[in-house]
Amino acid sequence: MINFQLNNSPVEVDIDPDTPLLWVVRDHFKLKGSKFGCGMGLCGACTMHLNGEAVRTCTLPISAVQGAVITSIEGLGTPDNLHPLQQAWVEHSVPQCGYCQSGQLMSASALLAKNPNPSDDDIVTAMNGNICRCGTYSKIKSAIKSVSKSGAAAMRNKESMVETFDPATANLKREANS
Amino acid sequence: MKKSSMTRRLFLLSTGAAATGLIVGCSTAGPKGKGYSAIAGAFEPNSFIQITPDHQVIFYLPSSEMGQGILDGLTTLIAEELRVQPTAIDVRQASLHQDYKNPEMGMQATGGSNATRAQFLPLRQAAADTAAAIRNAAAKQLDQPLDKILLADGNVVVGDKSYGFGDFVAVAALMPVPENSPLRSPAQFDQIGRERPRLDALDKSTGTAEFGIDAEVENLYRAAVVRSPVLGAALESFDASAALKQSGVVDVVQIKSGVAVVAQSYWQARKAATSLELKWEKTELGSWSSESIYKNFTDSLNDSSQKGLECCNEGEGDKLLNQSETMVAADYYAPYLAHATMEPLNCTVAVEGDSCKIYVGTQSVQVSAGAAVYYGDFDADKVKMHPAFLGGGFGRRSLGDDVAEAVAIAKQSGRNIQLVWSREDDMSNDFYRPAALVRMQAGVSKQGLIETWAVRRVGPNIMGHMVDAWLEVLAPDYLNKGFTDWLSKLGHPLFNRFVADASNGDGIYGDYDTPNKAVRHVTQDPGLRTGFWRSVGHSSNAFFKESFIDELAQRAGIDELQFRLANMKNNPRLTEATELVAAKAGWGKPLPEGHFHGLATHSSFGSAVAQIAEVSIKGTQIIVHKVTAAIHCGMVVNPEIVRDQVEGGIMYGLTAALYGEITLVDGVVQQSNFHNYPMLRMADAPEVEVHIVESQEHPEGVGEPGLPPLAPAVANAVFKASGQRLRDLPLRLG
Repeated sequence: MINFQLNNSPVEVDIDPDTPLLWVVRDHFKLKGSKFGCGMGLCGACTMHLNGEAVRTCTLPISAVQGAVITSIEGLGTPDNLHPLQQAWVEHSVPQCGYCQSGQLMSASALLAKNPNPSDDDIVTAMNGNICRCGTYSKIKSAIKSVSKSGAAAMRNKESMVETFDPATANLKREANS
Repeated sequence: MKKSSMTRRLFLLSTGAAATGLIVGCSTAGPKGKGYSAIAGAFEPNSFIQITPDHQVIFYLPSSEMGQGILDGLTTLIAEELRVQPTAIDVRQASLHQDYKNPEMGMQATGGSNATRAQFLPLRQAAADTAAAIRNAAAKQLDQPLDKILLADGNVVVGDKSYGFGDFVAVAALMPVPENSPLRSPAQFDQIGRERPRLDALDKSTGTAEFGIDAEVENLYRAAVVRSPVLGAALESFDASAALKQSGVVDVVQIKSGVAVVAQSYWQARKAATSLELKWEKTELGSWSSESIYKNFTDSLNDSSQKGLECCNEGEGDKLLNQSETMVAADYYAPYLAHATMEPLNCTVAVEGDSCKIYVGTQSVQVSAGAAVYYGDFDADKVKMHPAFLGGGFGRRSLGDDVAEAVAIAKQSGRNIQLVWSREDDMSNDFYRPAALVRMQAGVSKQGLIETWAVRRVGPNIMGHMVDAWLEVLAPDYLNKGFTDWLSKLGHPLFNRFVADASNGDGIYGDYDTPNKAVRHVTQDPGLRTGFWRSVGHSSNAFFKESFIDELAQRAGIDELQFRLANMKNNPRLTEATELVAAKAGWGKPLPEGHFHGLATHSSFGSAVAQIAEVSIKGTQIIVHKVTAAIHCGMVVNPEIVRDQVEGGIMYGLTAALYGEITLVDGVVQQSNFHNYPMLRMADAPEVEVHIVESQEHPEGVGEPGLPPLAPAVANAVFKASGQRLRDLPLRLG
């Protein structure tokens, strides 16, 4: 049995210990915002926060998560309560296909949490592990800068924006359009 | 109007099929009646729009949203005519129905950059007729003259009173729906042309947008497939005993493309798949490697007895080549490429007795449904499609091979399954952009006018491989299944003999005024399957054409911009784009030390794009600092998205220009993941500036036209910076 915090809620899971965290969050806890892209930690689509650090969860075995604090895109903000970066993403019309953007946002938010006013080089260093096949890099950069300039990132207490996640109620909500 | 190459490809597919006694029809046109499920009390004037009694406007999006912004674009058209804010419309991806066929393609599919062009008038008409119906109903219900009834911002306004649309849906439903209602004029537009963040940005910034891979159904098992290392080889035998003992594994089944492991979790399926023991039959492809393929192309290029097929012959063809003041010749090469969509292929299938539900991100709901019918052996009316957002398409999600595998696994194992391809599966089982080796020749006059333009091209076709992939899934019901299977297996070798795929000639001769042109294509195909890759033939042909134009200009001693303008007098759109980009980038003006400009201009999918790349060289490294682009794409629906698509095309094109190459050893694709098939990352992404030529003409393509000029613009700048004329892609300095 592995215990950890997922988006501010304690969770436990009994699963093959080498299962990557990504698949546990996606298929066991049914939080689908984090994406599978490469399975080798090369593209960043699966990025979540582990104790505040951006990590690639497609290669992170669940056994390594015991006792850790995990935040996925669902814990960063919600459509009704956006993280400042998510607000900036919408205002800058960043996404195209959108598949990589959860990972981009998790890398960007981990950067700003540590470094509220990153230089261009800081941004590139933090974001270079996240591939966007649609080529939205310049808008990602502008969106991050807009938040860092306004200083909005430093400020708001991150915890207050995390919606409480209860795995018991996080059920199959998806019956796609009919 | 210029037809898209998709149209021509489909035309050739259908003519090819007709030649063999087949008419490609549609076994899966979808249900009768409207394309959506009825909502009690709603006004349902057509398959695109529903208006509920509580005032909600629902729009059923007939094209697939794969990043190109068509959700935003088409919703804007509805909003314009219906007088509703785009953000107030509930947009749903349309399921399978004949009303959702793309009018240019005659099938329900998204590709060829034509979704806006093809649906610009029909969708506005559907919305305008709906608006007229609401006004008629309001006039009747309120007993007011029609000219007193106005629509504004989602409301019916009568004098100083305002009502919701829903107040009139009951009456509207009982009245005839008007036809040919007048459309708003461009001068009236307040949604079309407006700068606005795209409508799907919020969902895609919060992890709530649903992609195919996000589908969940009850009792869902996960599947992983092992396929032949040499693409297309048949399975000789396999031993699943070790795999079946692995944790969580519930079944192992053989399908057409390989062997599938079904397990409780994806990770269990993926792990167990590695313990399958498989033997594959030998195929012809297994005898080919990149070196032997290149040699074969070269031999063919030099063997004049191989006439090939004609793509174009105008004026005197190539007869007068040697009579011009200057004759220039050069050989160019472009490799096979993979699509590498960020979302690996996947498909989720729920089987309920003799019916099934298919959850998939697809460029063609029709092809996907056809695959379910054929490979899952379901009746067409028992297949329910649930299309989702696509995590990138670029042509890859148009084949139905994901659905074909998933339904076969679900059917055989008797379970609901989700099939997810690994990145390695994706890289080694693509329908690749075909390689091509090309000899460019031109005769140029003393004044610098191109008199003769001759191209000899060697490489695979795409069309034949499409026949392989599509024939079963698009063939009509009355054809015997064994017959279509047999015919499709003849696929590419059969068709290669007598059909020159139109995409081979796309964009290699059309842009300049040359009176005499001859383009021939010699098909040499080792058997690696090929497919539509963002901008298709243009993706390599623009590199050949625009690099060669620079060579001609330089040989003539004329500035590359002036040389182009002098030779495109009959190409006003491209001229406007070229003049705009030259002015914006400052062509001919001083640049920072060591920086050089390269220019390329190209028309594709109805639009004209000119680009100037600013490049420097560091050792053997090519650094692209900035790309300035101008596009003439007719009327613009949302400028933000047009700029995004051109920029996206530049980034996609730069990945290909700097890194892109699929290689084979003994038929096995050597690239497997992003470490050996690298993607452009933020550190190497240039600054991009996109300018749009003002136009009131009918809208044209934007999803693909930004890509083709990029590689030659960079190569032309590299020549200025290094003196090296790089004629092979990817661009590598010696």
